[in-house]
Amino acid sequence: MNQLPLKPGNTKGDWTSLIIPPAMVIVIGLLFHFAGGALGAYPQRILLDSGIMIVAAVSLTIVNGFTGQFSIGHAAFMAMGGYVSGFITYYTLLRLTGTTQAEATLIAPAQWLLPASALVAGIVSAAAGWFVGLPSLRLKGDYLAIVTLGFGEILRVLLQQTDRQQFSSEELAAAGWFGVIFPPDVGGSAGFESIPKLTNLFWVYLFVAVTVLFAYRLKQSSYGRAMLSIREDEVAAEAMGINVTKLKVRAFMFAAFFAGIAGTLFAHQPGTLLRPQDAGFARSFDVVMIVVLGGLGSVSGAVLAAIVITVLNAFLVDLAQYRQILFALILILMMIFRPQGLLGLRELWDLWRFTPRPENNTDADTKKTTEIAH
Amino acid sequence: MNLLNVDNLCISFGGLKAVQNFCLDLRPGGLSGLIGPNGAGKTTVFNLLTGVYLPGEGSVKLNGTQLVGLAPWQIARAGLSRTFQNIRLFPDLTVIDNLKIAMHLRGHHTLRDTLLRTFRFQRNERKQTAHALNLLDLFNLAGRADDYARNLPYGDQRRLEILRALATDPKVILLDEPAAGMNPAEKIELAKSIRNIRDKFGLSVLLIEHDMALVMEICEQITVLDYGQIIATGTPLQVRQNPAVVKAYLGSND
Repeated sequence: MNQLPLKPGNTKGDWTSLIIPPAMVIVIGLLFHFAGGALGAYPQRILLDSGIMIVAAVSLTIVNGFTGQFSIGHAAFMAMGGYVSGFITYYTLLRLTGTTQAEATLIAPAQWLLPASALVAGIVSAAAGWFVGLPSLRLKGDYLAIVTLGFGEILRVLLQQTDRQQFSSEELAAAGWFGVIFPPDVGGSAGFESIPKLTNLFWVYLFVAVTVLFAYRLKQSSYGRAMLSIREDEVAAEAMGINVTKLKVRAFMFAAFFAGIAGTLFAHQPGTLLRPQDAGFARSFDVVMIVVLGGLGSVSGAVLAAIVITVLNAFLVDLAQYRQILFALILILMMIFRPQGLLGLRELWDLWRFTPRPENNTDADTKKTTEIAH
Repeated sequence: MNLLNVDNLCISFGGLKAVQNFCLDLRPGGLSGLIGPNGAGKTTVFNLLTGVYLPGEGSVKLNGTQLVGLAPWQIARAGLSRTFQNIRLFPDLTVIDNLKIAMHLRGHHTLRDTLLRTFRFQRNERKQTAHALNLLDLFNLAGRADDYARNLPYGDQRRLEILRALATDPKVILLDEPAAGMNPAEKIELAKSIRNIRDKFGLSVLLIEHDMALVMEICEQITVLDYGQIIATGTPLQVRQNPAVVKAYLGSND
């Protein structure tokens, strides 16, 4: 893994890392907004899909990659986020404007409903993540995977039992707020229709940047290293003073938070209908596959794999019925030949980093062994 | 006053009394050995001291603080650190990260600091890196700081485990067969290093070792276990001459 570019002797603080990356988040959002705006509808759609997949995959990396717990219920957190934020934006707009059509311009007031509802959705999902994370204290490997799978199925069935949604402000007034909330009127098994189409390239890539920055900074920190140590050897990690229980649950909460945001972006995307099946195993499997393909624990690997799989999906749209076969095959081959994923724990830029730090390069013998070791 | 007081420690697994009435006192700066035939319960004692197993009865006090009932990570924070008989490094992480992980418990970093890369975070990371490189210098491993731990030769992995235990800034360090698999020259080197480390960091050391020469050479006090019970304690000379010990253990060498 990459060392932080901090020399032991240098005692001055580094302003650049404090300011530049957070500023880049906005720049990246705007860049995609304007550059993407110049593209046609189809490339835009692929960009949107990739961005949402990146948020989903990078967030799952925190659980599956960093702490090494195997969660296969990620889509449940996404669906949870999607339903919560969709509920907020749909009924708020219906109540305030009488319609759920929203303007696409960035400065339109309705646009700001998206980040606000994403935040709420993230927090609700994180709470669910805490709840699902609790069994992880006792369960490992396959057993934990089954718990996360079960959570997804429970959520799917619960969502099917929800009430029919209200379609106009008159209906909304007749049902009353309490009637809308208990049980939530989010469409049941018919799906949650007409969620305001607020997702655009700006918000998607803003959240992509935030998620990637979060995951990467976490990984390159004492906090993240402590998480990685759990994946490496739980007994040793605990013996070295790492509060394993706390960090395992935290990882679930972080991952669920960003999954909630990914779900928000998905739910508000033009042309999607949010259905209870979106909480199920099939969707979770897509995200797990991306994370495994990219490398368990590699942030850039997850980003790359998310893009590759989304683009591949778009090109294979004519062969939709064989797509799952192809992906499952890739996964099987991966498990046999490279179970740690393409990049493993490493990041893309680590592949170019073959030499140890210069100050340690004096001993020719050491250098030689280091090169062999790599 | 003793730094570590272990009193009447017992544990049973089903009907098997794995450790009975284990007592041990370790003075500050002391270097004690724990020996005994295979299966005598030595590693079980380590697991009891570090909270992996909960003892049926007995007490473990570090500087007067009761450790029985605390989780392993709390015991590490209290200042009792260990190595493992079968090496348990973090194999897919770099050598330096292995040490930095062990420093996590002494750092003051919040999630906010981590995400914003505040100066406090940067200071903490710098301190960890500098301290880790200093530790690696003890065993001339600084040149391999960026290698993956699994790529180190066996002996260096054992040394790295000792350094990792040191990185938690302990008061007492438990070494479980630190010289296993090393050749005689390496063992002598290691014995010297253990002494140096003890003096340099002002630690107390308790070590399990099968190599009698090493134990007799460096330990001031030796406890001999057989079938989970202490059969002798004393200086190396006393233990060597104790008939029970000779019968149970050393006899096989004569």
